This record gives sequence, C-alpha cells and structure tokens, in this order.
Amino acid sequence: MRPVVHLDNVTKRYPNVTALENVSLEIPPGVVCALLGANGAGKTTAIRILLGLEQVDSGTASVLGIDSSTGGLEIRSRVGYVAERPTLYDWMTVEEIGWFAAGFYPLGYAETYNRYIRRFGLDARKRIRELSKGMRAKVALSLSLAHSPDLLILDEPTSGLDALVRREFLESMVDVAAEGRSVLLSSHQVAEVERVADMVAILLGGKLVCVERLEDLKRTTREVVVTLPDATTPPPSMPGQVLAHVPFAHEHVWMVRDLDEARLAEVCRNAGPYTVRSPGLEDILLALLREYRSPAGAARSRLDERVESTPVTPPQ
Amino acid sequence: MLFHVDTDNGIPIYEQIARQVKFAVANSALQVGEHVPSVREMATRLAVNPNTVARAYRELQAEGVLVPIRGTGLAVTPEAPRICNDDRLELIRQRLRSVLAEARRSELGDDEIRQLFDLELSSLPAITAESAPATSSK
Repeated sequence: MRPVVHLDNVTKRYPNVTALENVSLEIPPGVVCALLGANGAGKTTAIRILLGLEQVDSGTASVLGIDSSTGGLEIRSRVGYVAERPTLYDWMTVEEIGWFAAGFYPLGYAETYNRYIRRFGLDARKRIRELSKGMRAKVALSLSLAHSPDLLILDEPTSGLDALVRREFLESMVDVAAEGRSVLLSSHQVAEVERVADMVAILLGGKLVCVERLEDLKRTTREVVVTLPDATTPPPSMPGQVLAHVPFAHEHVWMVRDLDEARLAEVCRNAGPYTVRSPGLEDILLALLREYRSPAGAARSRLDERVESTPVTPPQ
Repeated sequence: MLFHVDTDNGIPIYEQIARQVKFAVANSALQVGEHVPSVREMATRLAVNPNTVARAYRELQAEGVLVPIRGTGLAVTPEAPRICNDDRLELIRQRLRSVLAEARRSELGDDEIRQLFDLELSSLPAITAESAPATSSK
C-alpha cells in the first residue's frame, strides 16, 4: 500500500541551524504515528515541509502520493491540519467560520462541521475572540475534521489545554483512527502517545533516531540496574545494544535493546545483584534525550549508527 | 463496567484491557451472552488506539472468553466465567508470589511473613455477597 506520508532523505537548513538532516520516514495508511523529540528537534519543520509550507533543501516529501514541493495546495485541501497555535479570524462567529471554510471544500463540509461543534458543546453564535484556548482548539479541530480527511496532522494539539479538552481531542483522534484513517501527531505528552500511537518517530537534533512500531520498541527494550559492590569494580558490559548508560555512584542504569538475559546473568555473576524491568515510552525517550545531550561524543556516534542500522519497519 | 488504562504500570495496554474484561466476567459485571463494547466504542471511551483494543479482543477470543456473534459483535461465552475465575486466581497467586519473594529478599523469616499475612487478612472487611470487590486491574 502506498504510504500516506513519505519523507525521503530530507534535509532542511536555516541560516543558523540544520533543522532536519537526512530524514526518511514512511507512514502506511491507517496508522497513528507520533513524532517525538525535544523542543527544536525539527518536528514542526517536518510537518510544514509535508504540507508544502516550507521547501526542502534536498530529498523529497510527499503526502497521499502528492509531491509536497509542488502540490501543497492540493495536500492542504485533502488533509486535516491543526497547528500548535491555530490562526482563526477572530471576528467571525463559530458558525460563520464553518461557512467560510466550507467554501474551500466539497459539499457537506458545513453540516459535518456543525455536528462536531455540537458534539464539542461549542456555542455557534459566539465570536472566536470570545473563546477560551480550549474552545478555540476545538474549533480548529472541527474545521480540520469536517471534510473527513484521509490524514489528520496535529502539531502539539493538546499543549496548554486542560485535562478534559485533551481527553476530547484524544477521543476524536481515536475515532479518526477507528475509521481506518491515518494520523500524524507531534506531542510532548508521552503518556498520551503511549495510548494512541501505532508507531513512533523520534527526532533528536534534526535526525531521526528511531522509527518503529511502539509495541516493538517497548517489547525489545529493557532497563537494567546493576549494583556493584564498590565504586572501583568495573561495570559489566551489557549483552545487547546500549541506548543509554547512567552511573549513580556504584549503581549503574542501562537502557538496552535486544538484551540477552541469559548472558546478563553470566556477566553479572562477578559484578553484583541486578534487576531488569520493562520501561515505558517515557523512560526510553528520556534515556535517548539525556544520552544525546550528554557531552559524551561516543554516545552520539552510537545513535548515528543506529539510524543506519534501523530499517523503517511500518506496522503490518 | 468501568475500564481504565494506566500507561505507567509496565503492563501492555492490550493486556490491561483483556484482564479487565476477564475481571468483569469473574465479578459477573459481564454475564454469559452479554456483548462487550465494540472496538471503536471501547477505544474511544478509553482513548487508546483501536488496534490495541482489537488485539485484546482477539486474545480473549483465542482464550475462549469471547465469541463473535454474526453481525452483532462479541459476546461472553458460557465457558468464560470458569476461565476468568481460574485466571483471576492465577493472577492473585502470581502477585502473592512476587510479594513473598520480596519478603524473602528483605530476609523476613517464615513466621514473620505469616504473621504479616494473618494481620492483613484479619484487617480486611468481612465478605458479603454485595460487597464483592470491584473490578480492578492493578
């Protein structure tokens, strides 16, 4: 099946910073993909390139088979997009902005929009400028869903919203996914991503360090804690791919992929007692971010190797 | 039925959902022949990925707890209460085992462990038919 989102070796440079470096990503249809990474990692840039709002310096980007560099207008009419800070004409009422937007889309848009407005409990006669942040976000979401897009793109949709509105956003997103449509969201809310995502793409400093099914990432990653008898005992070498290693005095914590537990028992026999647990997405992400930010250059190059050795494996 | 999902407890979400369905059956909150909510309804209600709910339901079907009823959805099988009761017992045994292992690691003697156990047991409210514990996955 043709991917709904395709980035192929995309590089984007701004005068002072490389926003994206050789980023390749394929999202198959019907998948909820979460874009994760620290602030400034390149998430919004990637989304703007896909929508044709920014041009790549090299590589190609396409959405629903349409080239982003030339077909931005068509892409934006076929996907639903909620920006982090949606710009809406604030002198219009909730109902008027729906009529206004309906002019750009096929028939039936306004009816569907009004259904969402009612479902979200918005007052159709209120002016946009009178709305709270959460209500504005709901208007933006309603506008982006009313043409039943094949792909919904949400850029930090829930940042700054209260728990109830966030929950309603999540439910709408799940509803879109339940209809077999695709979702690309960038988010800092790891717990939310963990609930709704099929696959995660982790950006660190403009590089994609991990593109994987969330389930596989969690299934193959372990956190190992080894307590050494004293600070002079050398830490054992982990039988697996080390994503991160943090020593606390004589306690050492590793985040390891494809851990060989039988060999771990062997190497720890002389080192000290150890525990193994399955980390959540937040722990994995934090380990990657910390390792990336730590001054150790070795860690950086390890991550870079990972990019090349990790093929893009979309969910079935 | 009140389901909820916790992403911090290390148990995969599909397994949490499957467990809660089983607990609901074991507690008779879900009875033989009754339908579970559709994948879409359950996914929306819990705000989790629909594929995750579908996976939980597939596993419950494979274990014989749920069976598809043509055109209407998934229903609780006649064998489900027995399966779910056995499972619940097994789950409780597992937890007990891990607590006992921890007690051993803290070098508590068998008598001390028994004393603790009896103390906790005697402080539980008496069981009556109406006050059966509510569904819980933890």
